[in-house]
Amino acid sequence: MKYELVSGLETHVELSTKTKIFCSCSTKFGGEPNTHCCPVCLGFPGTLPKLNKKVVEYAIMAGLATNCEISNISKMDRKNYCYPDLPKAYQISQFDMPLCKNGYIDLSNGRRIRINRIHIEEDAGKLVHQGGNTYVDYNRGGVPLIEIVTEPDFRSSDEVREYVEKLQLTMKFIGVSDCKMQEGSMRCDVNISVRPVGSEEYGTRTEIKNMNSITFMTKAIDYEYTRQIDVLENGGKITQETLRYNESDGTTSSMRNKEDADDYRYFRDPDLVNIHVTDEEVEAIRRALPELPEVKRVRYISQFGLPEADALQLTKSRAIAEFFEAASDGVKNPKTVANCIIGQIFRRMENDDAKEKFEVSIPASYLKDLVLLLDSGKIRMNLLKSTLDQMLDSGKPATEFLSESDLSGVDTGDLKKFCEDAVAANPNAVADYRAGKEKALKALLGSVMKASRGRADALEVERILIELIS
Amino acid sequence: MVTHEDVLKIARLSKLQIREDELEAFTKDMDEIINFANTINQAAVESSDFDHINRLENVFREDVVEPSLPSEEILRNAESQEDGYFLVKKRG
Repeated sequence: MKYELVSGLETHVELSTKTKIFCSCSTKFGGEPNTHCCPVCLGFPGTLPKLNKKVVEYAIMAGLATNCEISNISKMDRKNYCYPDLPKAYQISQFDMPLCKNGYIDLSNGRRIRINRIHIEEDAGKLVHQGGNTYVDYNRGGVPLIEIVTEPDFRSSDEVREYVEKLQLTMKFIGVSDCKMQEGSMRCDVNISVRPVGSEEYGTRTEIKNMNSITFMTKAIDYEYTRQIDVLENGGKITQETLRYNESDGTTSSMRNKEDADDYRYFRDPDLVNIHVTDEEVEAIRRALPELPEVKRVRYISQFGLPEADALQLTKSRAIAEFFEAASDGVKNPKTVANCIIGQIFRRMENDDAKEKFEVSIPASYLKDLVLLLDSGKIRMNLLKSTLDQMLDSGKPATEFLSESDLSGVDTGDLKKFCEDAVAANPNAVADYRAGKEKALKALLGSVMKASRGRADALEVERILIELIS
Repeated sequence: MVTHEDVLKIARLSKLQIREDELEAFTKDMDEIINFANTINQAAVESSDFDHINRLENVFREDVVEPSLPSEEILRNAESQEDGYFLVKKRG
């Protein structure tokens, strides 16, 4: 029998607010244990939580960026469970009235992943297990999270990968989270089941919690998919359970089974009042959202005529896109700007992280001024490239490196002279060209370029050279 | 009607141990408590919306960091601690 994967995702994203969700403690990552804590985030009796306005705003931004409806009225609930990472023995979350619902993200294969809801909640503390004891650090306790819950719409681990990458890019682009999986500011719980192709019913699902790497997540899904099919093919039954993914050997193993289903006894948190958002407020937030990476990508292709690969690279982060847009504003051919960024500026970035941050030694306007010199015919491409390198080395504008004579281009008479010299100095290349080796022309061209210090127009030089030696 | 199973489940969730001979008494007590609380459902109200009792909404704070408590204060009431961490000791 042929089976298909049915998978859904719950993604926790830490919001990049300065303070926690219900108190004014810092959300800064790291720091000595239990130094970002107060009676509110430690749940001392008699304390009163007060909702951070920015959390609501960021969550609405996240909702709008993933095509969600924003609820006019939502509320906070208590999710009760007893574990040392939660000093109050309940987590403040949203149960039946989440802030955002019914969104979606479209994948490149045309399939739509429906988002059931996005709700706001507090993160738990961090536990370090050592020698049978558990050490508790509550710095992370109370850091604001959004949980983005999809419908079971994934049919392959590749779709999961694309969705998570897209979500990550979008959240970073709109500036609500840094989505660093390795630091835990983005993590996923994955539900996995299989069913015969064509079946409408869902199989029994298992859940893998707290995945913080896309690579391991796709591996875990592929492993679990194969494991479940094996069980079914051998006449067995899938147990509904929570699994752990073992990174060392790529297998999954049981953490606890779900027969004794969680009973969180949700109820409204009486300390917190309703969140009422008007349509006008939602529209104001929508208007303030930056253009999303996907929209930019399409626009770069249609409006600027960029190849898809370039458009993709330039929309990897908001910093890159904004630099590109500022530098290509008013230039004839934005592709030149794209080439400068992708070819020369990216090469100076140490890694993907640095690329994303895109801290460039020159402002975008310097690059734009340089490209405008090319547009107006004052300089040629190779001079542009060498000048850009000097600019990037020094942080100075183009005018620092281009002399009057550089900017005046090459006089036609001089150019002819350069070409004649090149022909005279390279008899072998001339002979080769005459014998039918067209490549030999490159040697002559190079010689002319050198003589003109890169200022000559290569096409023009080729034309003159061919005229001279044909 | 509250059953023995309900009481055992709630006891488990609350990390309480209940002896067999206590079960009947607890079940009866809990049933009475639930019935008492249920009288609220008989109240004649116009709307079933369960809003906050003070009709308050949108009570927010601005996202401005204020000093946290010193960690000695935070840990002062902890039963056990080590290196700035709360310590949950191995059981048994």
